[in-house]
Amino acid sequence: MFGSRRRGGIRGNEAVAGWLFVAPVVVILGLFLLLPILMALWVSLSGWNGQGSPFRDDVPFVGADNYTRLFTQDGLARENFMTSIRNNAYYVLLVVPAQTVLALGLALVVNRRVLRGRSFFRTAFYFPSVTSSVAISVMFLFLFANTGAVNSLLSVFGLDGPQWFADPRGLLHLTLSGLGLVDPAHPPAALTDSGLLGLSWWEWLSGPSVAMSTIIILVVWTTSGTFMLMFLAALQDVPVQLEEASLIDGAGPWQRLRYVTLPLLKPTMFLVITLGLISTWQVFDQIYVMSQGNPAKTTLTPAYLSYRTAFKDFEYGSGAAISFVLFLLIVVLTLGQRWVMRDRDRVPRTRLLPTRTRRS
Amino acid sequence: MSVAADRPRSPARRDGGRTLASHFVGYAVLVFFALVFLYPFVIQLANAFKSEPDAAANPLAPLPDPVTTAAFTRIFEGTGFPRWVANSLVVTTVVTAGRVFLDSLAGYALARLHFRGRAAVTGAVVAVMAVPGVVLLIPKFLVLNQLGIYNSYTALILPVIVDAAGVFIMRQFFVSVPVSVEEAARIDGAGVFRTFWSVVLPMARPALITLTILSFQGSWNEFPHTLVAVQSPELFTLPRGVADLVSGSLGAGSQYPLKLGAALLATIPVAVIFLVFQRHFVRGAAEGASKE
Amino acid sequence: MFHSRLRRTAIAVAAAGALAVTSACGSGFDDGATTEQSSGPAALQVLIGSSGEAETKAVNDAAAKWATATGNTATVTPAQDLSQQLGQAFAGDSPPDVFYVDASRFADYASVGALEPYGDKLANKGDFYDSLKQTFTYDGKFYCAPKDFSTLALQVNTDLWTKAGLTDADLPTTWEQLQATAEKIKAKGLTPLVVGDTRDRIGAFLVQAGGWLVSTDGKQATADSPENLQALTYFQGLQKKGLAVFPKQVDAGWGGEAFGKGKAVMTIEGNWIKGAMANDFPNVKYTVHELPAGPKGKGTLSFTNCWGISAKSKFKDQAIKFVEAMTSVDQQLAYAKAFGVMPSLKTAKDGYSQQFPADGPFVTGADYAHGPVNAPKMDSVLSDFDTQLQKLATGDPKAVLERVQKNVAAALGS
Repeated sequence: MFGSRRRGGIRGNEAVAGWLFVAPVVVILGLFLLLPILMALWVSLSGWNGQGSPFRDDVPFVGADNYTRLFTQDGLARENFMTSIRNNAYYVLLVVPAQTVLALGLALVVNRRVLRGRSFFRTAFYFPSVTSSVAISVMFLFLFANTGAVNSLLSVFGLDGPQWFADPRGLLHLTLSGLGLVDPAHPPAALTDSGLLGLSWWEWLSGPSVAMSTIIILVVWTTSGTFMLMFLAALQDVPVQLEEASLIDGAGPWQRLRYVTLPLLKPTMFLVITLGLISTWQVFDQIYVMSQGNPAKTTLTPAYLSYRTAFKDFEYGSGAAISFVLFLLIVVLTLGQRWVMRDRDRVPRTRLLPTRTRRS
Repeated sequence: MSVAADRPRSPARRDGGRTLASHFVGYAVLVFFALVFLYPFVIQLANAFKSEPDAAANPLAPLPDPVTTAAFTRIFEGTGFPRWVANSLVVTTVVTAGRVFLDSLAGYALARLHFRGRAAVTGAVVAVMAVPGVVLLIPKFLVLNQLGIYNSYTALILPVIVDAAGVFIMRQFFVSVPVSVEEAARIDGAGVFRTFWSVVLPMARPALITLTILSFQGSWNEFPHTLVAVQSPELFTLPRGVADLVSGSLGAGSQYPLKLGAALLATIPVAVIFLVFQRHFVRGAAEGASKE
Repeated sequence: MFHSRLRRTAIAVAAAGALAVTSACGSGFDDGATTEQSSGPAALQVLIGSSGEAETKAVNDAAAKWATATGNTATVTPAQDLSQQLGQAFAGDSPPDVFYVDASRFADYASVGALEPYGDKLANKGDFYDSLKQTFTYDGKFYCAPKDFSTLALQVNTDLWTKAGLTDADLPTTWEQLQATAEKIKAKGLTPLVVGDTRDRIGAFLVQAGGWLVSTDGKQATADSPENLQALTYFQGLQKKGLAVFPKQVDAGWGGEAFGKGKAVMTIEGNWIKGAMANDFPNVKYTVHELPAGPKGKGTLSFTNCWGISAKSKFKDQAIKFVEAMTSVDQQLAYAKAFGVMPSLKTAKDGYSQQFPADGPFVTGADYAHGPVNAPKMDSVLSDFDTQLQKLATGDPKAVLERVQKNVAAALGS
C-alpha cells in the first residue's frame, strides 16, 4: 500500500516534471511557429494592405484570390511567380547534381587510406560550410566582380569573363545560339508565340542566367563540404573485407567503385539528394545580398519574391500565398524523403543538417 | 576517422607503379580542391588590407601593395560595426545558453520522463523540424507585430531560443544513456530536476558541446530572422549589418576592401570555434549519415 | 492523482500561453481608430532615406536646431532601405512620425491611409512649385510638403572630352548630335555615355520624344505610343553601337561612380552627382549641360520626396511645425549647399541660382521636367519595365512597350 502510493507519487512527479520540462519548447514553438503559420494562412486569404492589424473587421476576405493570381490569372503576379519558379528549378537542377557529385568525389579521394594529411583536406573542404552565408556572399560579389578575381584569372588564359552580375542571358539560350541553332534576338516564333502559365516556351527554356550561375557556384562551393562529411561517414562503414575481397578478385578501381562502393552508398546518396532538393528550394540569403532578383528578374526565387511582395509592395496576402505554395512544395519533398527512408531510424537525425544548409 | 591505420596494406603493394600514379593524382586533386576551397578566403583577407585601386587592379594577388588598414578604420568609425558586434554577442550568448538549457530539458523529458502526451510532443517536434525557415518570414513578422515585440532584442532572441533539431539531438542522446545511473539517484530521493541537473546532464557533455557549437554557429550566422524581427540600425546583428553595407543605401559604391573586411571580421569567431572544436562540427554533420 | 495533476499542469501551460497571446494583442497592432493628439513636448521620430553622410548630417543638425528652439526632441534615423522599413513600420503600431516619401511610392502610401493629409495646414503651402504640389496630391487632397527636387542633366568629363579631341562646339543639343559626338568618342577608344539602367534615366528619352507611360491625368496607359517606340529604338541604337552602356557593365554601382572613375566621358544624372563628385572624386573636372533635345524638344525627369507625416502620429501638430521648419527658404538653401538638392519653394529660386550659378541646366530643367508616374500599385509594373530596359540591348522595343502598356492598364484598372 505504502509502496504503491510512493510509486504513484514518483510517476505523478514525472508527469508534472515532464510537462514542465517541455513547456518552454512547446510554448515557444507554438507561439512562433504554429500561431504565425495560422496567422499567415489568414493573411493569404485576405486583402490586408499592411496598415494596422490584419485581424480587424474591415480587412476584406478574398478567398483564394491571392492563389489564383499566381496560377490562373494572366498578369504580372503570375508572370513573376512563374519566373521565380523557373529560376529556382534551373538552380535546383544544377546545384543538386553538382554538389552531390563533388561531395562524393571529394569523399572518395579523402577517404583513400594511403594519403597523408587527410584531416587537413577534410577541414579545408568543410570550412566554407560553417561560415555565414552573408559573409560568403560578400566574398563572391568581389570574386565575380567585372574586375574581380575570377575574371582576372580568366584573363590569364586569354579569356574575357562576362559581367557576371549584370548578365541576364540564359545559359541554355547562349548554348543554343552558340551552336548556331537560334538567334537570341529573333527567337523562333514557335517558341515565343505559345507558352505555359504566362511565360512563353522560349522564356521557360532560358536556362539559368549568367548571374544565377554565380550563385549556383557559390552554393555548390559552400554545401559540398557538409555532404562530403556525410559520404565520408558512410564510407567508414564500408566493410573492409568486402573491399579486400574485390581487390583479390582483381577488380580495378572503377569496377570496385561501381559494384562495391556505390551500392553501399546508395542510402547516403539518396539522403544527400533529398536534403539538397529541400534546401535548394529555400535559397534566400544569397539572393538578398547579391542580386535582389536582378538582372532582369533572372535571380528571382519564390522565397525572395514572397519577401519582396510582402515587404516592398505591401501585398502581404500575395506574399503569404507564395510562401504557402513554397511550403507545400517543400513539405511534399520532405514527406517523400521520410517515406523512402521510413525503415531507417536515422531519418529525423538528418534534420541536423538543414539547420545549417537550409540557406544554401 | 583514424580507422585507416589498422587496415592491412598488403594488397595495395601488388602494383607499385599504378599505385604511385594514382597516389599522385589523388594528391593533385586534393591540392587543387583545397585551393578552390581556401584561396577565396586568402583573397578576402588580402583584399581587406588593400587600397581600393589596388583591389580593383590586382584582385588575385595574395599580398596587398601597399598594405593599408584604411578599410578597417572606416569599418569601425564610419559604420555601425561596433554596435553590430555587441548585438551579435548578446544575441548569440543568450540564444546559445537558452537553447542548450531548454533543448536538453525537453530532450530529457522526451527521452526519459513518462507523461501523457509525450508521444504527441515528440511527433510535433519532428514535424516542426520539417518546416522550412524561409517560408516563415512573413508569419514571424505578423506574430512579432501582434505581440508588440517587433524591433526589440526580445524579437531577435525569443523566437529562436529553442530549436526542434536541438531538442531532437538531446533526446537521441538521452535515449542512449543507461537508465541505471539515474535510477540510483532517484532511489536516493533526488527529485526529477536534481537528477537531471546533477546526474544526467554532466554525462551529456559530448552532446552538450555539439549542441553549444551548433547553436553558436547558427545564431551567429542567422540572417533572415533579423530581417523580420528588427529594423532599427541600433538593433542590427553582424550579418544584417554586413548585408546592409552591401545591398542597402550604402551599397552604391564598390568599396570592396571595406565590405570584405567587414565580412572577414564577421567570419573570424566562427572560424576560430570551428578550428578548435572541429571534431564536434564533424560529428554534427556526420550524424546525419552514420549508423548508431 | 496522476491524471488530475497532469491535467492541471496542461491547463496551466495552455492558459499561460493564451494569456501571453491575448494580453500582447492589446499592446500590439494599433486598431486603426483615430489617434489622439498628445500635447506638450513631442518626441518626434524622423526616418530619412539619406543620399549619404552629408545629407544625414545636415538633417540631423537642422532637427537638433529645431528641437532646441521649440523644446521638443527629434531623433533622425537614416534608413538602410526606406521603402522596406516604412512598409514594416506601417504594419506595426509605432511608425515614425515624420519620414521621407518618395514621389513614386507616394500614391501607394496615400491610398492605404498611411499618410496624414496635412498639406493645406502648412503656412507656406502657397510657395511650393505647383508641379511638385500636384505630385503629392491624391484624391484631390494635398498630402505632404515637397522636401526638395532634382532634375536630370548631362555631365561631361572635361579631361576626357579634350582627350577625345572635342571642343565646346561638340556639346550635343539634339539626339543626332549626341550620336555623332558619341561616335567620335568611341572612335578614340573611350566609352561615350553611361546611363543608369532604369526608367528614372532612360525615361528622359521618352519625354524628349514626346511620350510617357501614362496620360497627363494619370488615368490612361499610353506606353505603346509611337513616340515611346521612337525613344527606345534610338536608345537601343546607342547601346548596340556601344555608345551607351549601363553602370554595371563598367563595374559601377551607378552612373556617377562610373563617371567619377573615368569609365565614360558623359553620364546622365541629377544634381545629387555634385555631392558625390565632390566627396569621392574631388579631382575630376566636369561640366553640366541640359539634356539633348529629342524630336519633340527638350525633356528631362524630376525627382522629389515629401516630408510624410504618419496618420498614426501622436504629435501631428508638432510634426507640421517641424516640416515647416525643414522646408523654410533658409533651411532649404542650407540643404542645397550641404547635399546639392534644389529648393521646392518658388521664393528660394533666386537665392539658389545666385549661390549655384553653375547649376543652370538643372534649374532650367524644372521648366520642362516630367514627374514620376503618380498612381498606386505601379511599383511592380515599373520595376518590370526596368527589367525590360535592362535587357533592351537584345530585346524588341515594341514588345517591351506593349508589355508595359498591358501591365499599366491592368494596374490602373484595378
